[in-house]
Amino acid sequence: MKDGNCEGVRSHTREKRPLAGRLYRAYRAHTRWRAREKRHAGRNPVYLVLLLLFYLPVLFLLVKVFLSTGFRQELTGFLRSELFWNTLSFSCRQALYSAGLSLLLALPGAYFFGRFDFPGKRLLRSAMVLPFMLPGILVVLGMVVFYGNNGALNHWLALLFPDRGWRFTGLYGFWGIILAHVFYNFTFCLRLTGEAWERINPALHEASALLGAGPFFTWRRITLPLLAPTLLYLFLLVFLYSFLSFTVVLVLGGYLYKTFEVLIYIEYSSRLRFDRAALIAMVQLFLLAGFLYLQALAGRRLRRGGLFTGTLPPLKFRDYPWRTILFLLYLAFVGFFFLSPLAAVVARSFFSRGLPGALPTLENYRLLLTDGFRFAVGRSFTSVIAASTGLAVTVAFLTVSLAYYLARLRRDCPWGGADLWLQLPLGVSFVTFSSGLSLLAGRILPSGLLILWAQLFLAFPLVYSMLRTARRELGESLLEAAALLGASPSRILQTVELPLMRPALSTAAAYAAAFSLGDLAAVLMLGRGRVVTLSVAIYRLIGHYRFPQAIALGTLFILISLVLFLLMEGRSRPRLQDVFPRPEEAEEE
Amino acid sequence: MNENKLSGNEQLRLDIKKAYPGFQMEVALKVNRGEIFSLVGPSGCGKTTLLRLIAGLEQPDRGTIVLDGREITTLPPAHRRVGLVFQDYALFPHLTVAGNIEYGLKVQRLPAPDRRQRLAELLALFGLEGLAHRQIQHLSGGEKQRVALARALAPKPLLLLLDEPFSALDYSLRQRLRQELKKLQAKLGFTAIFVTHQQEEALSFGGRLGVMENGRLVQAGTAEEVYENPATPFVAGFLGEANLLPCSVEKKKGRARIRLGSNDCFTLPLPENFPPGEYLLMMRPEDLSPDPALAGRVTGKIETLEYLGSGYRLEGRCGAGIIRAFIAKKYRNLREGDQITLGFDPRQIKLFPASAPDGGGPSRPVDNSPGI
Repeated sequence: MKDGNCEGVRSHTREKRPLAGRLYRAYRAHTRWRAREKRHAGRNPVYLVLLLLFYLPVLFLLVKVFLSTGFRQELTGFLRSELFWNTLSFSCRQALYSAGLSLLLALPGAYFFGRFDFPGKRLLRSAMVLPFMLPGILVVLGMVVFYGNNGALNHWLALLFPDRGWRFTGLYGFWGIILAHVFYNFTFCLRLTGEAWERINPALHEASALLGAGPFFTWRRITLPLLAPTLLYLFLLVFLYSFLSFTVVLVLGGYLYKTFEVLIYIEYSSRLRFDRAALIAMVQLFLLAGFLYLQALAGRRLRRGGLFTGTLPPLKFRDYPWRTILFLLYLAFVGFFFLSPLAAVVARSFFSRGLPGALPTLENYRLLLTDGFRFAVGRSFTSVIAASTGLAVTVAFLTVSLAYYLARLRRDCPWGGADLWLQLPLGVSFVTFSSGLSLLAGRILPSGLLILWAQLFLAFPLVYSMLRTARRELGESLLEAAALLGASPSRILQTVELPLMRPALSTAAAYAAAFSLGDLAAVLMLGRGRVVTLSVAIYRLIGHYRFPQAIALGTLFILISLVLFLLMEGRSRPRLQDVFPRPEEAEEE
Repeated sequence: MNENKLSGNEQLRLDIKKAYPGFQMEVALKVNRGEIFSLVGPSGCGKTTLLRLIAGLEQPDRGTIVLDGREITTLPPAHRRVGLVFQDYALFPHLTVAGNIEYGLKVQRLPAPDRRQRLAELLALFGLEGLAHRQIQHLSGGEKQRVALARALAPKPLLLLLDEPFSALDYSLRQRLRQELKKLQAKLGFTAIFVTHQQEEALSFGGRLGVMENGRLVQAGTAEEVYENPATPFVAGFLGEANLLPCSVEKKKGRARIRLGSNDCFTLPLPENFPPGEYLLMMRPEDLSPDPALAGRVTGKIETLEYLGSGYRLEGRCGAGIIRAFIAKKYRNLREGDQITLGFDPRQIKLFPASAPDGGGPSRPVDNSPGI
C-alpha cells in the first residue's frame, strides 16, 4: 500500500515536471530580461537620442551666440538698451500682477475646496484643468469676443446702462494681458491650493482652537504657514509662465508690450535678425535659470504640508448658511469670469457676422469653406484640419511611445538625475528652443519635421512624468504572476501590462495632442508659413479682423478641446508633481 | 438653586443629547476632580463624539455641560479651558517640539520669560529637553505622544481629554506610556477623560470607568464594580470575557432551581420576590473549574483547548450553548473531544432577564445577591 502511494506521488511529479520546467524557464526569462533592462536603463540609445534632440538646439544656439563676432559688444549693447529694460520691466510687472491676482482670486475658492465637501466637487475640480489645457489663441479669442471693445460685456453694459456710457476698453494693453493670464492660471492655482488645503488635517485647527486661538490667529499661525510653500511655489510657477507668455502678449500686447518671447519672435520672423534673436534667447535663458533656481527652492518645501485624507464636512446651508451663500456667489463670479468668454465664442458663432443681437445663422461656419478663408489663412479649411489633426496624432503617438518606453525601462529606478534631464525642457522657453532648432536644422529638415521635433520637446516632460508615475504604481507583482503562469514577456505586455496601462496612456496621449493643437510659437517660427494649424488659422483670422470665421473655427476648436478633456477626465489624472515636477521627488523615492 | 453648582469633588457634570442621522447620543456623566475617568466602548459607540461635545468642537442639541462650576455648553472651544490629545496627535507639522508646546502659551499672550520657564518645565517633565528644536516629522511615536500631552497641558486646562492616544503605538510602548501617564497624573493632579476601546487599558488606570454603547453611557463605576457587577449583558461581554447562557429559574420550597439546558441544574437561594422565568446567566471563564467540589455544575464536550502558558483556555459545548473557561495547568491531561464537567460557585453568577438580548440597552441585572 505504502509503495503504491509512493509510486503515485512519483508519477504525479513526473507528469508535472515538464510544466514546472516551462514555468521556471519563463520566469527566469522574465527576471533576466528585467535585470538586463535595468542595467542598461541609463545608457539606452533612445534615452541618449532624446537628450540629444532636446539639448542640441539650445546648445547650438548658445555656441553660435558665444562664437559670433562682436558678441560682447552686442550683449552689452542689448543689456544697456532701453528695449531690454522695458521688456524686462514689463515682463516682470505683468508676471508679478498675474501671479498675485491668480493666487488672490484662487484663495477663497481653495478654502471651500479644502475645507468642505459639496455636490459636484470632483467634477468642478476636474474642469479646472480645462483652461490650462486650452490653446492660448482660443483664450485670446474668447477674451476679445467677450471683453473686447465690441465684445459681449460692452454690449451688455450698453443695454443695462444706456445713458452711462460705461465701456471696458482695457483689453488691448497691460490689464488685458493680466486678465488673460489670470484666466489661464487661476483655475490650476485654485485646484492645487485647494488640494494642499485639503491635506491639512482639520484636527490642527481644532487643536489650535482648543489651545485658545481665535480663527485669525489659527489662520496666521497654522493654515498660512502650511499653505505657504504651495502658495510660493505656485506664485513662482505662474510668474514663470507669465514671464514666458507668447500668444497672449503677441495678440493683446500690440507694439507697446513685449515679453522676451515675443521679442525673439519679432527679431526672428519679422526683422530676420537671427543673431539678435539668438542673443535675446540666451539672455532669457540665464534669467530663467535664476527663476528656476528659486522655484526649485520653493518646491523643496512643499512636502511639509499635512497628509490628511479623511472626509470633510459637507457644505450645507443649514449648518453653514453664510459660507454657503459666499461660496455660491464665488462660484457665480468664477463661472461668469471663465465660462462667459468661451460661451460668448460659441454663442456668437451662431449669429450673423458674429455680432450680438444679429440673426441666428450658420453662415459663419459656411464661410470657413469659402475662398475668403483661404485668402486670410493661406490654406483651405480641410487642409487646416488635416494638418492640425495629423500633427496632433503624430505627436501624441510619438511622445507617448517614447515616454512609455523610457518609463518602462526605468520603472525599477528611483526618480533621479536621468529623469530630471528629461524634465529640464520645462525650464527652457519654447521660442528659444524653436529658434535654436531653426538655426540648427532649419535648412536641412522640412517644416513639418521641425514642428514635430519642437512639439515632441514641448509635450515630452509632462507625458513622461505621468507615465513614469503610472508605470511605477502598476508595480511588478501582476507581471510576475503572469510570468509564473508561463507567459512570455511579449504576451505579458499584450495581455496584462498594456490593458492595465491603457487609461494612463490615453490620458497622456490626450495631453500631448492638446499641447500640439494649442502650439502657436513652433508652427509660426518653424512652419515658415507653409504649415497652418488651427491655432495659426485663428491667429491669422484675428489679424485679418475676420472675427465671424475666427469664432466659428474657435467653436470647433473648443469642441475638440472638450473631447480631449473628456478623454483625460475619468482616467488617470496627473498629480501636482506630474504636471510640475519638483526636485524633492528624488528624496521621496 | 444654582444649576451650575457642582457637588463636592465634581469637576465636570454633563447631561446632553445630540442626534445624528441614524445615531442618537444621550449621556449623563460626572467626573471628579483629579481623577482619570476611562471611557470605554466599541468603535462607533460615540466616545469620540462625546469628547468633541465636551471640547466644544460640536454642539449638543439639548442639555448642559458644567465644568468647574461654569456652564460651558455654548462656549467656543477656545474659551473652555479644555485640553485634547487627539488620536493622531494633530501636532503642528511646521513647528518644532518647543513651538508646539508653547503654542497655547503664545495664544494666552504669556510674557516671554514666563513662557520660556513654563516650556522648560514641561520639556523637563516629559523628558523632551534634547528634542526642543526638533521637527515633528523626526519624532518617534512615543515622543509625539509626549509632545501632544505636553502641548495640551501647557495652558493648564481644567479638563484633559485623551482620545485613544495610544492606539497607534505598539503594545510595549503603550504599556510604558500608560504607566507614565498615571505617574504624571498623580504628580500634577489634573482631571482627565481617557477614551479607549481596549478594556485592558480602561481597567489599568484603576480609577472610575464608564462603558458606552450606542450613544449611551450604560454603566459607570470603579473598574472592580463594573467588572464584578456588570449592568447589562453587553457590559459583561465587553469588559472581560463572559459566558452568557440562557437558563430557566424555577422556585421550589423557597429555593430557586436553575436549569441550564436539559442536563444541568443547580439550586440557588434567591430573594422571596424573585420571579421565576427565563433568564440569561452570566459567569466569568476564570470562575469555572473542573473541580467536582463546587456546587454549580455544567457539563459539555471540549471543542477547543488552547495552551496559554499560565493555563488553558477551554471552549466547549454544553446543553445551553458554548461555554468558555480558563483552567489551571494541572488539568493538562484533558483533550479536545473529552466530556467535561465544569464546576462553579453559584454565588458568582449573575442573572439578566432573558427579554434583554445581548447588547440590548440599559437593562439591569436581577439582584440575586441578597440572601446568598
